[in-house]
Amino acid sequence: MASSSKKWQRPRVVFQPEVHRGLLRGIDYLVDAIRPTLGPMPRIVLYDRTIGNTGRIPELLDDGGTIARRIIEIQGRDADVGAMLMRQVLWTLREEVGDGTATAAVLFRDVYAEGVRYLASGGNAMRLRTYLEQALPGILDELAGMALRVEGKEQLGRLASAISLDPEMGTLLGEIFDIIGEYGRLEIRKGRTRVYEREYVEGMYWEGGLLSRAQITDQARQRTELQNAAVLMTDLDIEDPRELIPVIAACVQQGIEDLAIIARKLSDVVVGMLIMNRERGQIKIHAVGIKTPGVSTTDQRAALMDMAVLTGGRPLFRAAGDSLRDVKAEDLGRARRVWADKSNFGIIGGKGDPRELRTHIAHLRNLFTTISAGDERQDLQERIGKLMGGSATLYVGGITETELDYNKEQAGRAAEAMRGAMRDGVLPGGGAALLAVRRSLLAHAAESDEPEERAAYRILASAMQAPTRALLENTGFEPGEVFALLENADRGTGFDVIKGQITNMEESGILDITTVVLAAVRSAVKSAAMALTTDVVVHRAQAPESMNT
Amino acid sequence: MSENSLQSDLVYALACTAAYGGQMPSRIYFAARGSGLYRSDDHGESWISMYASLDVSGPLPTTSVVLTPDCAAVEQGPLTGYEIFAGVPGGVLHSADEGESWVAAILDTPPPSVSALAISPNFVEDGVLLAASTEDGIFRSASRGSHWARWNFGLLDLSVFCLAISPDFAQDETLFAGVETGVFRSTNGGRAWREIDLPVGYEPVVSLALSPRYPQDRSIWVGTEAQGLLFSADDGASWTRLGQTEITDPVNSILVSPAYPELADILVLSENALWLSRDGGSVWNKVEPALEGMTAVLAPDGLHQGALLLVGSMDGDVIPLVLDK
Repeated sequence: MASSSKKWQRPRVVFQPEVHRGLLRGIDYLVDAIRPTLGPMPRIVLYDRTIGNTGRIPELLDDGGTIARRIIEIQGRDADVGAMLMRQVLWTLREEVGDGTATAAVLFRDVYAEGVRYLASGGNAMRLRTYLEQALPGILDELAGMALRVEGKEQLGRLASAISLDPEMGTLLGEIFDIIGEYGRLEIRKGRTRVYEREYVEGMYWEGGLLSRAQITDQARQRTELQNAAVLMTDLDIEDPRELIPVIAACVQQGIEDLAIIARKLSDVVVGMLIMNRERGQIKIHAVGIKTPGVSTTDQRAALMDMAVLTGGRPLFRAAGDSLRDVKAEDLGRARRVWADKSNFGIIGGKGDPRELRTHIAHLRNLFTTISAGDERQDLQERIGKLMGGSATLYVGGITETELDYNKEQAGRAAEAMRGAMRDGVLPGGGAALLAVRRSLLAHAAESDEPEERAAYRILASAMQAPTRALLENTGFEPGEVFALLENADRGTGFDVIKGQITNMEESGILDITTVVLAAVRSAVKSAAMALTTDVVVHRAQAPESMNT
Repeated sequence: MSENSLQSDLVYALACTAAYGGQMPSRIYFAARGSGLYRSDDHGESWISMYASLDVSGPLPTTSVVLTPDCAAVEQGPLTGYEIFAGVPGGVLHSADEGESWVAAILDTPPPSVSALAISPNFVEDGVLLAASTEDGIFRSASRGSHWARWNFGLLDLSVFCLAISPDFAQDETLFAGVETGVFRSTNGGRAWREIDLPVGYEPVVSLALSPRYPQDRSIWVGTEAQGLLFSADDGASWTRLGQTEITDPVNSILVSPAYPELADILVLSENALWLSRDGGSVWNKVEPALEGMTAVLAPDGLHQGALLLVGSMDGDVIPLVLDK
């Protein structure tokens, strides 16, 4: 820990009004660091990494979540608590939706600062918090009601350009998402040139290639291809060639000449038998062994289930007590083509029932909506994407390694935001959607007899201007003048800071992603309301050694 | 070969060039049949094989044929300069010299069975062609048919029977595919597909038609195998069944008047009857004479009274009819 923190060793309990003042100082500190990144012409925050690491180049940041993450301590013990509180809010938001941190930061500060001012005049913190939280669903509903669908490569491209601030990247992301859809599989790689490129791969593919290199038949491309193939899908280990007799018999019975055996393991003897049979066998079956994809049992099970739906077969699971003894022809999946190389394999033209495939995808989509974040959600998205029939790779351009890293990070962030936009739609951007909510908030405040309720709705109405205000200040416009012009404007009208004029944000393609805006508002208002009820701060003598102390 | 009824070979598709020849306008007609591709210069009276230059030992089943749309009407014949694309097992044949020579584009392995072809109305500019297949989904060429690639993103059913392309394809890049289990739409020139909701049980979809004013009226007709004819006036959001009592056989083909909706004429070919509606689908009348085993129909001059129809049959005949109502 830095030497400054040594001074903090004395335990201390802090009461009002120092608590509010201290927290606000910390919140201001963090917001001031993040606010320049808001808008279409963001300024970069440079993060100095040289201390203790001589020679490391500074990091260029324009993402509020990462900036907050990099600030691990600020001066002043009370202020540090405020800054860390906000840091946690922003990082959680970034993890959840990938963006919206700058909007959340300015909203949080406005609600908190106005709330503190109201409480200083004698208001009740708990009642204020209750009304702030009560108002939130109405705001979110009104915003969700304004959401517009975004579709077509032009609209998607404009949106991606606005998110990534890179028109070349945006145009390609627009095209890619128009093709692969919101669940589509997109890999982002560093390219070898300064321009961006993309590639599409048809069919589904998984990690888990050939179980033996000796089964490669196309030496030039280092892969094997099967046509009109049967597909055995299992997580069993196949040790003895005799175990495969029922499978081979089923193929012979059906007149099948190509067989893909997807299994956890094939013994050397089994692989040897398959190769020998291909070269000299009397039964003309070209069978190849492919490793069951996935590391964990859950992953393997999921992949095998997906393959089964795709090919119309029945997977055999060790845990279910399945064995190869009872395999029948109908247990084998069928596909027009199966390819495999040393690390991947793919299925093209699976012969499963398209109705079952739709039902399976719908089931996975339902599951997806019930999971808020994390690896499980990511896995589900990948599974849906695979089943939809293909994948894309974006090669980001750049000259230096730093630029490539930065562009790759930007592309990944933009891609996540695009998925959200396609699923939940977009809102008039530049803060216009939030400004549109003000009218109903002010109307509610005017109708209320409760002082805290009036205050809560006024605070929120004022806070809804904060993102636009920050954006205007960032771009050198006078907020007062612009707000006066926007006062009686139609819903969805905002200020285009690049052209310097009032405009219909949808028509101008200035859009924000609904999911991101909703998450930013929810997170900022709830956290600020909670922070307003914080009356006492206890500073410990020592940093806790673990979460349990 | 120059006879009308060649052999027992199904007529899969019919096509014709634009009219040419000034005072006595004529057209060149093409019939894609089980035994090959045929051409008629006399309104379907006689047919000659287009594959004479191909060194093939037996019949070459041809399941679809399209012509470049840039062979626009000319005042003086003979018409030249158009290109022909024919769907054959495993590939697409292309001729730019009226069948004197052919170039084969192999689609992929294992060889797909081509069920339909669609050509961009803006082919001169974009060179886009699409080929549907019964097992492998949709292939797309943006190089005037020389290179093809499969584009099946989102196409959850790869058994494709028919295609319909928007008249404003140059702008909206929209086309539809009828499959074993429903209908899919692409809004990016056939590179990705999204399903359209059809009422349950109305699949497979074996024929499709779009309004000539599709960009404005969003009207789509869907012919099914077992549930007759469906119509949507809102781009597939909702559907109405047309001719419920009359059209009960599989709907093999749907023709819509080029002047729709001003002339709301619709002609539907089912296996044993041709049905004509003059009011957008409320009242249907059988076109006489009724023929057995009809498989394809072409209305080169529209659906007005007195218009010529060419009707293909199961045994390879192409019969001229005149719409007398």
